[in-house]
Amino acid sequence: MPRSAVDPERLRRELEAICGARRVSQRDADLDVYARDMWPRLLLAHREGARPLHRPDAVVWPETVREVAAIVKVARSLHVPVIPYGGGSGVCGGAVPVRGGISLDTKRMAQLRSVSSEELVCDVEGGINGERFERELARRGYTFGNFPSSIYCSTVGGWLATRAAGQLSTKYGKVEDRIVGLTFVTGRGDVIETDGPARAMRGPNWNQLLLGSEGTLGVICSARLRVAPAPQLRVFRGFEFEDVTAGLDAIRRVLQKGLRPAVVRLYDELDTMINSFGHKSEVDSSEHDARAPLPEAGAGALPALPRPQPADGEDGMVARLLGLARGRKGGLKQELTNAALSRPRFVNSVFGAVAEKVARRGCRMIVGLEGARIRTEVEANLTFQELEAAGGRDQGEEPGRAWLAHRYAVSYRMSPVFRDGAFVDTMEVASSWDHLLDLYHSVKAALSRHAVVMAHFSHAYPDGCSIYFTFAAHASDRASSERLYDAIWKDGLEATTRVGGTISHHHGVGLLKASHMVAEHREAMAILEGLKSSLDPDNLMNPGKLGLAAARMPLRAVEEVRP
Amino acid sequence: VSSAATVSAGDELGRAVGEPHVQNVGDGAWMVSPGSPAEVAEVVAIARRHRLAVRPVGTGTKPIRLTGPRVQISTRRMDHVIHLDETSLLVHVQAGITGLALEKVLAPRGLSIGDYSPSILGSSLGGIIAVRTPGKSSARHGFFEDAVVGLSAVLADGRTLHTRVAPRRSTGPDLGRALCGSEGTIGFITSAVLRIHRRPESRMASAYVLPSVDAAVRAVYLALREEAAPAGLRIYDASEAEAHFGQTVIGVHEALLVAATAGPTDLAACDRDLVSSAVTAEGGGPGESRLAEIWWRRLHHGEPTPGPAPTLQVTATPGSLRPVYRAVRDAVIDAGGQIRAHVSRFDADGAVVFFTIGGTGSRAEQLREVAEAAAREAGGWLLGARATRLDPYLAAFQQALDPLRIMNPGALEA
Repeated sequence: MPRSAVDPERLRRELEAICGARRVSQRDADLDVYARDMWPRLLLAHREGARPLHRPDAVVWPETVREVAAIVKVARSLHVPVIPYGGGSGVCGGAVPVRGGISLDTKRMAQLRSVSSEELVCDVEGGINGERFERELARRGYTFGNFPSSIYCSTVGGWLATRAAGQLSTKYGKVEDRIVGLTFVTGRGDVIETDGPARAMRGPNWNQLLLGSEGTLGVICSARLRVAPAPQLRVFRGFEFEDVTAGLDAIRRVLQKGLRPAVVRLYDELDTMINSFGHKSEVDSSEHDARAPLPEAGAGALPALPRPQPADGEDGMVARLLGLARGRKGGLKQELTNAALSRPRFVNSVFGAVAEKVARRGCRMIVGLEGARIRTEVEANLTFQELEAAGGRDQGEEPGRAWLAHRYAVSYRMSPVFRDGAFVDTMEVASSWDHLLDLYHSVKAALSRHAVVMAHFSHAYPDGCSIYFTFAAHASDRASSERLYDAIWKDGLEATTRVGGTISHHHGVGLLKASHMVAEHREAMAILEGLKSSLDPDNLMNPGKLGLAAARMPLRAVEEVRP
Repeated sequence: VSSAATVSAGDELGRAVGEPHVQNVGDGAWMVSPGSPAEVAEVVAIARRHRLAVRPVGTGTKPIRLTGPRVQISTRRMDHVIHLDETSLLVHVQAGITGLALEKVLAPRGLSIGDYSPSILGSSLGGIIAVRTPGKSSARHGFFEDAVVGLSAVLADGRTLHTRVAPRRSTGPDLGRALCGSEGTIGFITSAVLRIHRRPESRMASAYVLPSVDAAVRAVYLALREEAAPAGLRIYDASEAEAHFGQTVIGVHEALLVAATAGPTDLAACDRDLVSSAVTAEGGGPGESRLAEIWWRRLHHGEPTPGPAPTLQVTATPGSLRPVYRAVRDAVIDAGGQIRAHVSRFDADGAVVFFTIGGTGSRAEQLREVAEAAAREAGGWLLGARATRLDPYLAAFQQALDPLRIMNPGALEA
């Protein structure tokens, strides 16, 4: 795909005319930063200090929707792409400027403008950081209820652009379940608003056609979102089930009874062991939870925030995983870890055996409810009864508190793995209940050929559930790491499509899954193409993403050059 | 279009769906009843070749004047339940089955579409999905569109799309939603996968009297904020209560609130108690429970409600319900008219106020205009409202999928 040919001087002048010189940059340092997001494949190159191949021509920080519209109009007149950029926490390469252009950073549009207590709706700008958003809502006694593990480094606009989900989605829903209206700058440079009671207005629901567009149709500048009163009560519990099948059956029974726990997570045997809940010495809930007050401490919907994790001395997850499998407390030496990761089939089978033989604990489930005091109490009792009736063994509060205290930590423990020359990534797929186990076994088998794999089931619905696979692998050099990485994803996503699952539950598509979009949607891609031609006729909005025809490209096109 | 071309279109249609299922209705128009999605695709292809408009029939929208060369497609022969997945609580149905017919299939298995009004479920499911009206909502199960997990539809170019089923996905926009509410302009819906529910263990109905409609609305939102999820709620003003129950049941300024809760017994009782506490907090108290039972029977067992159908339906958000009610009522009374109302179909977006305005002929028309103006002024949305500011985008989207604009042209251009 050709890179845009643009006169950088002219581009800078035009952008400065809109935002002023201080909010436009063409400095190398900035262009390097905006060349990537947190897609692990890019980290493989980054780890070696490689210069990114795809850099934007300019970075701009607009502060108003008018400025955004003006920027898009300039981009149209110069025929330069526009790549909306929020927190840069995406894990699919969705913010990579594959054709250069303008990286439009939304983070200076970061106000929570209002919260209506009567409507239970807030008006918030897209560039606000997720943690700040929740804190400001909590201060006023509300919660949006979206707690992704990226909450410290992602934006509300990014959530909406990718249809994100948080850890408490089983109660609060994904972001698309909480949308009231959007202020959106289209690829034509118009400002549109989609508010109004969806059910009372004829014509398609534009909110649902713009959410998930990942910047390919335009820029989300602000949104009206539903909020909930901050929970008055939070109840957490751990349960043990014989195996994955029994645990899933129990979740399904709870959800189909009309009960809505905030969180239900079922860990497969290996994931149960790695997460090693109930390491009581490690967990001091009161300490970790100090900033996330439980109901007795007053209003609080805030997430439990981890303290900064010590960079050194912290076991890499993979090392810890292997250490645990051998019954050792500490991590293994790096060479040993890598040797094991190079033989994933062997490791997976050992872990399977270890998990069943040594742990003998089956699968761990964390279930938590929160909300209004009376109803939450009633619902919690019914939920726990149902889980016990389905064969669950009540493990008390401790595992739940341990999860709550550490729930963000895992995502911030990946750098040691990369530092050690291995890599780790996650694949979140989903399906209806009737073929969920098929999906689990097929994807696990596909990934296990290449990598050490564990999984948990979270984000449950009455009609289905998502599966979150974590995989780690190692190859001798960068080129073979990238080949391995691509093979893992190709096999995993193809296995998903084959058994009728969706290739993404909440991370989005970006570059990573773009080539699988046709398999996912088939003829329905015509709808997406139709939207694209309507909202972005010049194909300038985040080109190369979502598998749109104008931009379908193989993965090698995003390879990076060495310094 | 020459008559020769029209005759040959008729022949082609006959070959596509079978002679008995094609009817020449005059004015260059044909009425066809395809028996399968493949036949729908053929009919659309024939329509495209002969430049005939494709008109889904029986949608229940405001009648668009059907003129000119056209094919009216009825889905009445496509009324099968294709697959019932009792594990995932999903049902795959053809577009022509009515909600009530589906309910008959589900009921013996302890399943249900959900707490939607039978007046809505009398329509074909394709029509319910393709045409948006505010009644398609329930406090417990939400907006009907949210129950649509998958759709199959024929596009103008004859291709058939199937959106694939997953509880949620993060793979671009929700493509099926382009068809929901599109009134046949994006594609012709041939089947849908819907979420269904287990029938509740218990159902409880109760009635309350509150000092005013204002207090009743506040009580409802107080209960909803405590996370009560009733299966149904309705607020009557005094005149409406008298009209519906045939006698004076509450004082002239008071309001009657009826509530049904459903689910596991403990939860249904909890929700009932939450509503009751909220009523007490707003200065109300228990009413005659038989009124709640009558209301429920009328709503769900086909007993008729006395009196004329409501004149005006206004959708309002939680915050604008009370202003809308007051403004419309005052405006009509100031204009010398009579008016009564009930508030129903509560969901997260708000609720619908159903006004019945007295008067006949031009007088009625005059009062209706007064009421509509007041409703709009107070922030309400009238039945059939459209977000016209997005029209250029809708038109370009339709143009991309249907360059000849054969798919129900004009339907969304009111």
